[in-house]
Amino acid sequence: MPKMYPARLLSQLERRTLTSYFSGKDVVSAKDFKRTQLEQLFQAVDDLERHPGSLEGALKGKLAALLFFEPSTRTYSTFQIAARNLGMKVSGFSDAGGSSVSKGETLHDTVRMFEGYGADCFIIRHKRMGAARFAAKITDVPVVNAGDGSREHPTQAMTDLYSIRSAFGRIDGLKVGILGDLRYGRTASSLVYALSNYDVEISFIAPEALQIRPEVEHFLNERGVTAKKEADLKAVAAGLDVLYVTRIQKERIPDPTDFERVKGKYEVNLETLKDVKPSLKVLHPLPRVDELAPEVDATNYARYFTQAAAGLPLRMVLLNFILGGGD
Amino acid sequence: MEGDSEAGMLVRKIQEGTVIDHIPDWRSGLVAQVLRLSRLAKLQADVSVAILQNVASRQLVRKDMIKIDRWHVDEGEADILCLIFPSITINYIKEWKVTKYKPKVPDIIEGRIKCPEVQCISNAEREPISPEFATWKKNRILQCEYCDTLLPFDRIPDYVKS
Repeated sequence: MPKMYPARLLSQLERRTLTSYFSGKDVVSAKDFKRTQLEQLFQAVDDLERHPGSLEGALKGKLAALLFFEPSTRTYSTFQIAARNLGMKVSGFSDAGGSSVSKGETLHDTVRMFEGYGADCFIIRHKRMGAARFAAKITDVPVVNAGDGSREHPTQAMTDLYSIRSAFGRIDGLKVGILGDLRYGRTASSLVYALSNYDVEISFIAPEALQIRPEVEHFLNERGVTAKKEADLKAVAAGLDVLYVTRIQKERIPDPTDFERVKGKYEVNLETLKDVKPSLKVLHPLPRVDELAPEVDATNYARYFTQAAAGLPLRMVLLNFILGGGD
Repeated sequence: MEGDSEAGMLVRKIQEGTVIDHIPDWRSGLVAQVLRLSRLAKLQADVSVAILQNVASRQLVRKDMIKIDRWHVDEGEADILCLIFPSITINYIKEWKVTKYKPKVPDIIEGRIKCPEVQCISNAEREPISPEFATWKKNRILQCEYCDTLLPFDRIPDYVKS
């Protein structure tokens, strides 16, 4: 006869099992995480939000190597603060220009070098797609992908999903529009992978040249998730619960004329939001340029600054899960 | 293979080597590209290659064939060829004896094909990295293990590593 556990103890046991899923794990792709694992992460972020300071010093003495081969302000700072809040030592660089990489050092050698310095985890941003996956093959130390070219940004997707969940109290049943540069924007693809764990309706709103990449569509097909493509925001805006706006990735678009053609066409402002549901929430991974007008900031639709703030506790919990601090 | 009289008349039987048969007509150039036949002379000077195009075939009406005298095609390359052209049969000849090769569908193809995405880490010149692809046989596509880029089977010849 199976042993019966009180509900509270069972919850703790479940939590340990799930925490052990994260323990020592790479976070390379949002595809690698299932709904139960995401939910566990989100519950722990809720706990941290309720008890700020509860993870202070949880990873004292461990070393986070932040290897940012591509410049970053927001993601670098969040990870740096998250690691320090956990009591970790932080080393690395926020821009390859100031490192040995500018002298021609490879990703491979950089990872091996920091491994030798005793890094307990790597947090890597790189302009090349698949760089984090490669790093994860080089080392047994956990690797967190902080953005690899136009491919993925899984911790941003976790933050995005957490923000949707916080705004609505659920994710299932929502209609999510993802707008802008879906071809070169890494946050869009990671968000789609993470959303595929939930019962949501997804609309990809972009000009044909910047529509979602074939491998993302392929993934959705394999999972049996249906999503529709739209060229015009107006065609779907009224039915949306969430509008996820992304920046046109000018720096990643090979043909500048492609950029000129679409620049400004997908701007979200009070006029475009005229007929939307009052409960609509607008998210944006930031930074923004022209695609999201500042006049939206003062409305109830705006959720992007709360979203950005959520990145810190989420990354703290994630690092704590990975590096064995557990719960 | 050897029973097709038109092909038999054009090229003699070989004692040792490989016969790639039932190539769709006029596509032998792509097979040569995948096998990188141009490198063979450098590897072994006495190798000779006969390419037959648009010969009569009982199965395909018209077909191409390649006979490689004194060279056995690598099984990994044979597997890739069979992915691209499912109609192909590959026969290894050893001391006049013909053995039909049974191709395997590899789950992972490593080191033989370049990723079509130039920004993929596997295309970074100085990194010690070997490209890897997962095989989606049902959809007839490969998927880069690093950057997820898809490569339809019929575009493989353009990305074979030299």
